[in-house]
Amino acid sequence: MAPVTQRGRYDNRGLAEPDTVAPETAVVSGHTATLDAADLTTRQVNLELRRLLYSCGVTEVTLQNPGARHSLAVGLLLRCRITIEGSLGYFGCGLIDGPEIHITGRVGWSVAENMMSGVIVIDKNAGSLTGAALRGGDLVVRGHVGARTGIDQKGGTIIVGGNAGSMTGFMMQRGRQILCGDVGHGMGDSMYDGAIYVAGKVASLGIDCVEAELVAEDEEFLDRKFKSYRLDRPDTFRKFVCGKKLWNYDNLEPNERKLVL
Amino acid sequence: MSDVSPKTQFDLADRRLSGTSGIDTEELTGRTFPYQFDQSLVDDIDLVAATPGEDLNWLEDIHLMTEDGVPAVFDRYTNAFLKIHFEIPAGREDEYARKVLIKHLQEGNSYGIWLKHQHAKFPQPELGSWLQGSATVGEDWSPPRLEGWQPPVGH
Repeated sequence: MAPVTQRGRYDNRGLAEPDTVAPETAVVSGHTATLDAADLTTRQVNLELRRLLYSCGVTEVTLQNPGARHSLAVGLLLRCRITIEGSLGYFGCGLIDGPEIHITGRVGWSVAENMMSGVIVIDKNAGSLTGAALRGGDLVVRGHVGARTGIDQKGGTIIVGGNAGSMTGFMMQRGRQILCGDVGHGMGDSMYDGAIYVAGKVASLGIDCVEAELVAEDEEFLDRKFKSYRLDRPDTFRKFVCGKKLWNYDNLEPNERKLVL
Repeated sequence: MSDVSPKTQFDLADRRLSGTSGIDTEELTGRTFPYQFDQSLVDDIDLVAATPGEDLNWLEDIHLMTEDGVPAVFDRYTNAFLKIHFEIPAGREDEYARKVLIKHLQEGNSYGIWLKHQHAKFPQPELGSWLQGSATVGEDWSPPRLEGWQPPVGH
C-alpha cells in the first residue's frame, strides 16, 4: 500500500494542520468563485473559503468535489451564498452566522450545529443530530433525517420533507420544527418550549410533550415557510408543544431562563 | 400623566450604571443610544433585507419583552436586554423590537461584539451578517500572558 502523503505539519492526532495556509486555487470571476476541493484538505478548503469571502469581495462560491469530508464550510460569519455540489460528512456548515448554503447531496451527523442565522437547504437525507443546538435561521432537509433532530434547539426553524428518527426535538428550548413525514419514538422528550409540527404519524411522544391546537398563526407560519422553499404542503399537520409539567426553571432562578433566549 | 416627552425624560449625558443586578445593555455599556428613544430613527429599517433568505430568518425568534418593567428586546450577541423608551405603536410590538435590535447591531453598539476586538482569535468581519463591508477583527490576536506565570514542565 502506498504511503499517505501529508501536505504539512499535523498535530499528534494527525488531524489539525496548524501551519496550513489558504491554497489560493479557487477560480474567481468578479463576485463569484469556484473552488475544487478534490485535492485539498479540510483545513485548506475552509481557509480558502474564508479568504474568498472575507478578503476577496466574493459573495457566491461553488464548492465542487467535497468528498463527504467532515467539518466543511464552518464558522462563516457573513452574508454570502455557497453551493456545495455533492455530500458532506459530520458537522458540516456548523457555527455559521449569515450564509445561505445549498447542498445538493447528503450530510452526516450534526449539520448546521449552532447556526445563528442563515439558510441551509439539503437536497437529500441528513444524519442524526441535524440542527443540534440551532440558534436561528432556516434548515431545510428535503429527504429524511436521523435521530435527535434539533436536540437542544434554541431557535430557528427545521423543515424536513421526509421522516424523522427517534427522540426528535429532545430538550428543545425554542424554535420550530416542521416534519412532513412520520416521526419515531420519544418525540419532544423533555422539551422546554418551541413547537413541533408533524404531518405524518408519531410513534410515541416523549416526557412532557403534548398536542396543542393548531391556530391561525400556525397556519400562516406553515404557509409562509412552504412558499419560501417551494415545497408542497401536506394538509394533515398537528402541533406539539411542551406540557409544562417539568417547568420549574422560573421558580429556581429567573435569570437562568434568559440564557436560552 | 406627565407631559414630558420620552426624549426629554432622560439626560443622555448623565446616564450612569445603576448598580443593580440587572443585565441590561445600559448597565453593561454605561451608555444609552438615540434609537432607544426615537422611533423615527428605526422606521426605515428593512428587516427582510437585513436578514438572510426570503423572510425574517433569525428575527422570527425576536419578540418584544420587558426588563425592569420597561419594554425591551433581548440582544443574544451580548446576552442582555436593550430597553426601548419610545411609545411603540399597538400591534407592532415585535416589529419595533426587531428594528431596534437590528439598528443596534448595524451601528456596532452590541457590547458582546465590542469584545471581538480583544478576544477574536481568527480574522473575521466585526459586524458579521448585519453590515456589508464591516471591519475585520482578529488579525493580530496573541494569547494573553499572566505576569509571573511559567508553563508547566513538558509544555
